[in-house]
Amino acid sequence: MEIRFPFEGVEVAYSRNVVKPSFPILSRPFLEIGEREFYLDVRNVAQYTSANGEEVHIIPYEGADVSSIQLFLTGSVFGSILHQRCLLPFHGSSFEYKGKGIVICGTAGAGKSSVTASFCQNGGRFINDDITPIKVSDSGMTIVPIKSRIKLWDDALLKLKIENENFEKIRPTLNKFYLPLQDTSTIEQQLNHVFILSIHNKDGFVVNELCGMAKHNALRNQIYRKMYLEGMPEAEKSYFKQLFQIAKTIRVTQITRPSICNINDVMDCIKKEIDR
Amino acid sequence: MKNTLWLVSYPKSGNTWFRMFLANYLKNITEPVSLDEIESAPISSNAVDFEDLIGLNPFELTAEEVNFYRPDLYRILSQNTENTGEITYKKTHDAYTLNSNGEPLFPEEISKSAVCFVRNPLDVCVSYANHSADKIDSSVDFLLKEEAHLAGNKTGQLCQQLFSWKNHVASWKEQIQIPVHIIRYEDMRLNPIATFGSIMTFMGFEYDEERLKKALINSDFKLLQQMEREKGFREKVQNCKSFFWKGKIGNYREHLSEEQIQRIVEYNYDMMRNLGYIDEQGNLTV
Repeated sequence: MEIRFPFEGVEVAYSRNVVKPSFPILSRPFLEIGEREFYLDVRNVAQYTSANGEEVHIIPYEGADVSSIQLFLTGSVFGSILHQRCLLPFHGSSFEYKGKGIVICGTAGAGKSSVTASFCQNGGRFINDDITPIKVSDSGMTIVPIKSRIKLWDDALLKLKIENENFEKIRPTLNKFYLPLQDTSTIEQQLNHVFILSIHNKDGFVVNELCGMAKHNALRNQIYRKMYLEGMPEAEKSYFKQLFQIAKTIRVTQITRPSICNINDVMDCIKKEIDR
Repeated sequence: MKNTLWLVSYPKSGNTWFRMFLANYLKNITEPVSLDEIESAPISSNAVDFEDLIGLNPFELTAEEVNFYRPDLYRILSQNTENTGEITYKKTHDAYTLNSNGEPLFPEEISKSAVCFVRNPLDVCVSYANHSADKIDSSVDFLLKEEAHLAGNKTGQLCQQLFSWKNHVASWKEQIQIPVHIIRYEDMRLNPIATFGSIMTFMGFEYDEERLKKALINSDFKLLQQMEREKGFREKVQNCKSFFWKGKIGNYREHLSEEQIQRIVEYNYDMMRNLGYIDEQGNLTV
């Protein structure tokens, strides 16, 4: 299987030797980060390095499968490339709905991908899964489409009544699949509304639209792999300004959903807020 | 720096009750602290901490791969609070285990000590069935299962290896890396001042009976039940009626059949005897 990278202009190559960052600011046994350099060790899968927002080297572990190498390349490693380019990545999935650019943020397991898939079954147009880069310029904020696919667990496919027609597994050991979608957006879309999805063990939804500094801080917490910024002070500074601009322009709504609930109920709750 | 204190238990053994006591003791105010403040001792299997500090989605890793990173996760958490000079309290349900690198999940060099809460497995069984909204027979099977683990599927918390009840307790009791204080739930209920006092002394606090009594009143089981009824509790499973259910010693007598009791006792006999749940004549003491 050929390795794919979600972004143009990045050279990806297999390598035999690990060249770690020369001047790491953040250093951990499995991770080293400098302003323009990055190293990550995903044990049993591969060691990855990236630099200057334009090159990635992969040093696979013996016996590692290509799907797993691909998964972390398009996740944590891709995140490092975006940070090196100061292209603000949110930890969220995105779609266009009724002409509006929507991002659903949240931690792993919050339901970002399921809700996005649900919208795409009901008039939404898929843009990105899990990582959504935002371009901030004088003319506005846009969602940058990357070449990603929605990843869904087997039970989410069932809930969405999607028949699993031999969908590709994201890793051989996991029952999580790439969902093939026909209608995906390949052009930049204006960003209008960010939802921050979380879970509680109660019945019912809690909805809270944010304003002021709470909005800025909540958006900052949605930065994909925010911890990388401990080793990238210049990128952090750039994001600080970008987030102010974003917070001035868009709506941000926190939604806490029951841990056990119907995906369509979450979608309906979000729809109401989009229309409000 | 040894600044992490592990609050260890098999589920439903008094850990959360102690965390509420601790939150009240540390805050030392007249009014009881709310159930939300239990976050002063968050769980070690928090998946958000893992993703935030390790930079990988734990649900896209196998449990074995997650365990590679867990010692580093706790080292980072320890480092992050090093400058404050404060102790980090971490609840854990994990058995004391090594990852496949042969490294303990809970590194010795950051571990000040551990308090291990144990409870009669017969009562644990009934309480766990209520907590997980499951049948008693499933709960019995779970307590006897050597491969038993919690969570780690697609969402929620990291996978926690439990073992059977007896081997969970044994794993902490027999390890020699971290000083451990074993506390029986029944002693916490029957003799609270002496028992909670011994825990606080073990944890390095000076004995302060007034403060201890105040924290005990503010974390009284009935009060916790009332607080849960009024405002809910985030650690309750959605389908479970209440987290703070009965807390009664010997509650199993009203719920377990003779056969269920026999299965649990036979499998766990030596550890139950060791912890005083079975006397010299072989009778159940609780």
